[in-house]
Amino acid sequence: MKFIKKQIPLMIVLVVGVLTLASYYVPHQRSVNFIEMMNKWENIVAAFAFFLGLISLFYTHYSKISRKVDGWGYSIFVFVGFFAMVIPAILCHGKQIDAAGKTALGWSFSFIYNPLSATMFAILAFYIVSTAYRSFRIKSLQALVLFVAAFILILGKVPLGQIIWDSVMGWTRTGISDVIEWIMSYPAVAGKRGIMIGIAIGAVVTSFKIIFGIEKQYLGKD
Amino acid sequence: MLKEKLQKFFKIDRRWIFLLLAIILFIPIVKPIGLPNKTISKDTQNAYNFLDKLPAGSFVLFSLDYDPSTRPELHPQAVAMLRHAFSKNLRVGVVTYLAGATGLIGQIFEKIPAEYDKVNGRDYVIFPYMANAVAVMTQMSSDLYGIYDKDQDGKDTRTLPVMQGIKTYKDMALVVNITGTSMLDYWVAYVGDKYKMPVIGGVTAISQPGYGPYLQTGQLKGLLGGMKGAAEYESLIKTPGKGTSGIDALNLAHLLVLILILTSNIILLVIRYL
Repeated sequence: MKFIKKQIPLMIVLVVGVLTLASYYVPHQRSVNFIEMMNKWENIVAAFAFFLGLISLFYTHYSKISRKVDGWGYSIFVFVGFFAMVIPAILCHGKQIDAAGKTALGWSFSFIYNPLSATMFAILAFYIVSTAYRSFRIKSLQALVLFVAAFILILGKVPLGQIIWDSVMGWTRTGISDVIEWIMSYPAVAGKRGIMIGIAIGAVVTSFKIIFGIEKQYLGKD
Repeated sequence: MLKEKLQKFFKIDRRWIFLLLAIILFIPIVKPIGLPNKTISKDTQNAYNFLDKLPAGSFVLFSLDYDPSTRPELHPQAVAMLRHAFSKNLRVGVVTYLAGATGLIGQIFEKIPAEYDKVNGRDYVIFPYMANAVAVMTQMSSDLYGIYDKDQDGKDTRTLPVMQGIKTYKDMALVVNITGTSMLDYWVAYVGDKYKMPVIGGVTAISQPGYGPYLQTGQLKGLLGGMKGAAEYESLIKTPGKGTSGIDALNLAHLLVLILILTSNIILLVIRYL
């Protein structure tokens, strides 16, 4: 049993991992065909994973409703939202516009999904402004540097800010766009590049650990 | 006494701030102030120049990967760049790897192509939504039809006039990716770098600083950032749109954030020395 649960998955990961990695560097038709086949398999597996996620989501929210836990009413809207989009999509064969104009799916997208999604994101703006007032405290030198950089970037991002800068700092003969370009080209890029290199090295190391069976958490506990 | 009064400012009900922001956003939307957009950023100008120099008939692949949550910033960018492409008589292909984007793509192609007498299948093609972006991007490098054999309406893509001579990235002139996700990183890493494909990006203002390294190394030929990027591009193609009209509200909201941060810190400073 342990052989089926542990050894076989590890062997599959090793063989597929090494072959996929090697294919990236081998400019041969066979390696191209292999990558194409793996892509198709990946899509099929992703579709199953999507279906599995859906079942899990439904099960979680169904049990919340049946047990009437706190906030169970919100779980009803998971089903309402899902069926409000999926039923029209099936009925209209995925088309949002046809010869007669907007289909039921087009209507659902324009008047349910679109406003709900936009509203969720728009609410963030109110919380950001409120939090900026209540929490952004310049208590250290680092916080001051952060604030000055953010101040210049925010100011330079809008035409009104550019007008203010020109009238107050015009005597320096340095436009705010020049200052922003310097911030973006040197300190910001240096920081971002460091993060990117760190993430890339981490990803390479983790991939090797998975391929060679050192990292086995994806197999589960038993 | 004064100290206690000042401390009350920090205990202000946040709904007052919400109301203030709502008013500040509402006024310019109802009655635009029309502040001039004084500068064009280098990255937007580079994006414009690259697209502008492509010969007529070149195939440009637009990957529009944003949904209604980032629509105010990214939709005007997509509209402006597509207007530019159509005005230059470029062939346009549209892909998306975000299910929520399909409706927004439909909204664009309901109106924009007709303004330039462009016809579906002859001048542009909309490919269906595909999951698993990286796999699709890799597949397109060897045979586009292996993954997109039909367009959004179920027509055979091989027979479409717009697709004549197009099989892999080698036959395309440019990829434009407008996204509120990390999709642009994938386009750069899996397509731009590997197949020497020029890539231009359009991203939200908040993610714009993160793409500095790609711009410095030339991995990105240009970048539009947020609503300002859209407004800049609209002014370059001399067609004002939602980017230009939305910039007023953005102006005032940004200044409100700065004023609030400054006010709270000045109050804090006064309290400390009282």
